[in-house]
Amino acid sequence: MTGQLAPSWPAAIAALICAAPLITVAALGVFGPWTDYMAHIASTRLPAYLTNTAAVTAIAALIALLIGAPLAWIVARFEFAGRGIMEWALALPLAVPAYAAAYAWYDLTQGAGPLGFLPTVRGPIGAGLIFALTLYPYVYLLAREAYAGQSSDAYDAARTLGRGPFGAFLDAALPLARPAIAAGLALVVMETLADYGAVAHLGAPTLSVGLIRAWSAEGSIADAARLALILVTIAFVLFAYERAQRRRARQSAASGRRRPAQRVKLGFGPGLLALLACVTPVMLGLVIPLARLGWRALSSPTNRSMVEAAGNSLLLAAISGLVAAALGLAAAYALRSGRRRAILSARLAGLGYAVPGSVAALGVLILLGLFQDGLDQVWTGLFGSAFPVLLSGGVVALVFAYQSRFAAAAIGPAEAALNRVTPTLDAAARSLGARSREIAWRVHWPLVASGALLAGLLVFVEVLKELPATMILRPFNFDTLAVTAHNYASDERLGEAALPALLIALIALPPMVWIARRITRSEQS
Amino acid sequence: MSRPDLLTITGARIAYSPDRAAVDGVDLSLKCGQVTALLGPSGSGKSTLLRAIAGLEALNAGDVKFGEEVWSGDGVHKAPETRRCGVVFQDYALFPHLSALDNVAFGLRSLSRADRRKRAQAQLDGVELGDRAKAFPHELSGGEQQRVALARALATNPDVMLLDEPFSGLDRRLRSALRDTTASALKASGAATLIVTHDADEALSLADTIALMTEGRIIQVGAPDALYLKPNSIAAARLLGDAEVFSATVSGHSVEIALGLIDTPALDQDTNVDVIIRPEGIGVSADPSSGTAAVVTERRLAGGHARLSCQLDTGRVVQARVNLTERASVGQQVWLTLDPHFVSVVASE
Repeated sequence: MTGQLAPSWPAAIAALICAAPLITVAALGVFGPWTDYMAHIASTRLPAYLTNTAAVTAIAALIALLIGAPLAWIVARFEFAGRGIMEWALALPLAVPAYAAAYAWYDLTQGAGPLGFLPTVRGPIGAGLIFALTLYPYVYLLAREAYAGQSSDAYDAARTLGRGPFGAFLDAALPLARPAIAAGLALVVMETLADYGAVAHLGAPTLSVGLIRAWSAEGSIADAARLALILVTIAFVLFAYERAQRRRARQSAASGRRRPAQRVKLGFGPGLLALLACVTPVMLGLVIPLARLGWRALSSPTNRSMVEAAGNSLLLAAISGLVAAALGLAAAYALRSGRRRAILSARLAGLGYAVPGSVAALGVLILLGLFQDGLDQVWTGLFGSAFPVLLSGGVVALVFAYQSRFAAAAIGPAEAALNRVTPTLDAAARSLGARSREIAWRVHWPLVASGALLAGLLVFVEVLKELPATMILRPFNFDTLAVTAHNYASDERLGEAALPALLIALIALPPMVWIARRITRSEQS
Repeated sequence: MSRPDLLTITGARIAYSPDRAAVDGVDLSLKCGQVTALLGPSGSGKSTLLRAIAGLEALNAGDVKFGEEVWSGDGVHKAPETRRCGVVFQDYALFPHLSALDNVAFGLRSLSRADRRKRAQAQLDGVELGDRAKAFPHELSGGEQQRVALARALATNPDVMLLDEPFSGLDRRLRSALRDTTASALKASGAATLIVTHDADEALSLADTIALMTEGRIIQVGAPDALYLKPNSIAAARLLGDAEVFSATVSGHSVEIALGLIDTPALDQDTNVDVIIRPEGIGVSADPSSGTAAVVTERRLAGGHARLSCQLDTGRVVQARVNLTERASVGQQVWLTLDPHFVSVVASE
């Protein structure tokens, strides 16, 4: 398409940032020095890591499916008091980091806790439950989109062809939403694989815990990289699956014209039940954990001020959000250009989402080490002394690692926003005498601005919650809320861990409300 | 008891808000083996009425009966899956996860698997799509999708067939070809058929009976030609095509308009009337003795006809639809004649 504004070089930079850490991890994993450690854990802890990983992800996916898919159907197809609020409120548990929910629920259900009569939330089952409660919104949001976008005609057609209401749901509505639900589940599993804080606290060490132990306890980056490779392989399989399912979802939506589904009004009794069904997961995933953390924070004075940690968290999240929004737009423009190399760059950048934070951090660590070595050699040659320690573990390194993991999350919204800028708009602007810069400013920016904001905020929330990459890469004495919470929690000082964990959720909540409302609103129009 | 042959709708009312009804007191009956077209502008409530017959909407008042069996009304609402209604939806609503054959077989659950496939295949053959059985909806063209939807609805051998704008997504040429396939398939099924459309040509060419609907009400029902020639109101006339309308008052047993005198034996003296004339009813002649003087101001082709704009002495311009062989050209003096078959005189509203 000629005359279309679609620069592709920024995407190449985005791809490089996102892919470089992964490539170095893979290289080190394969070519790095072998130690006894790998052989040692292969016969001792590795099997447990693997079974825990399988068990936790399976339980998380199953429960998230059972919560997310039916509620999406209820919200999309029925009208009841409170539906308008529940539609976006159901997404809010995404503001709560899994480890924060894990602290709260473990604290509530342990022997001496107020809910001590319940089985204690711990081990693979407890961890799976925690992930389901904080991550089910992925399934809910994608399934809701699929149901809401579905023409009610498929359901109606099934009714006229002899299916009852439930049969029509199973045979017509559910199959159409199945790709979306599968994509949501893949996201749940990828997030579960990437987690460190919750599984460490609940005593269900997964591969990602093993990776961090290999690095922190054994100091073996090469062995950590090998564990990372196993983790990344699993994540990539899921990632490919998620992409394929999304493509199918688009395909199934493409048939015919749409007739917006009329929501069926529920009577008082059923309406109350529907509302109750919607409120329950929000209570379990958001309100109860935050209330418990709040209570613990109030009743146990923290001796350290959280101001500095909160400032650090905000700084990192804000910078990362801005950079990711820019990279997301860059990738979206590359996809728009239609040039093969540009699209490849954008897709490469998109792969980052499958890379757990700990792996991205490891990759950045290796890269910085190589860089430092290089500088040292040059410096020694010139001046006869080693180069001053410059970069290892600075804010820049952290932002680098975050981008390599989260920039991918910014591509989707940016791409969606840029899709509104049809090629004919560019052509029209040019025919009216506008130059490239003018088109970008007067036509593109107004149309993509809110999409870029969405992308930036998504990454802001994710970085705020991020723990493993921050642990690995943070400079000495540089604490974020997440790291502070984790350090207290791993010392069994839950009262002091409560405040930083609560602060993360409280800071993440307003942007999450905005994101949830925007996502649910935009599909209605 | 033999199979009933009549679906009757009486006083049907559907209102989404108290002050505005989408369907407002509709009476209509559908005969088995006959095609009824429900013609009206968009937003007139046609699709809502169709959905109510299928059981996809509930009635606020009135009833729908098949023979003696109440489907809707009096607190009864028979579920859609038990009504034996086949529906072709406007967007076809094919299940994207099923092949054409499986779409058609969807409603045939009572049969064995082999019978189901055989029957579905036969239905596809019936709409000339036998070789596309394995294709998925997104691999089918618009016309093919429409035929799969038709076959799917017919496969269950329904008593009532409901088609919602079945040709609206298709281009013109395809439409007329599909109309014929559809019409013969519907005839063969023997079902009572309702086709909802906003296209007058479609209604005229497909239907045994046409019902005209505006603003939730049915304003006239009749055979296509009777409806075209003798509309009972200006609105009814306009739904089926172009019309010239003159207002006049009955004097004696006739009314006089600019185009001449028209007999009105059935109307009282001094009744205010509208005289509705189809453009085919206005003839053009070069013979001064035969009509009303006019000047041709414009000549355009429409379909296989010529449409002449003619200005009368009064300044009024009327449209005449004449054969292409009629050579009257712009600026030429002509005399207009009136064919009473194309004239309808109705009391003013």
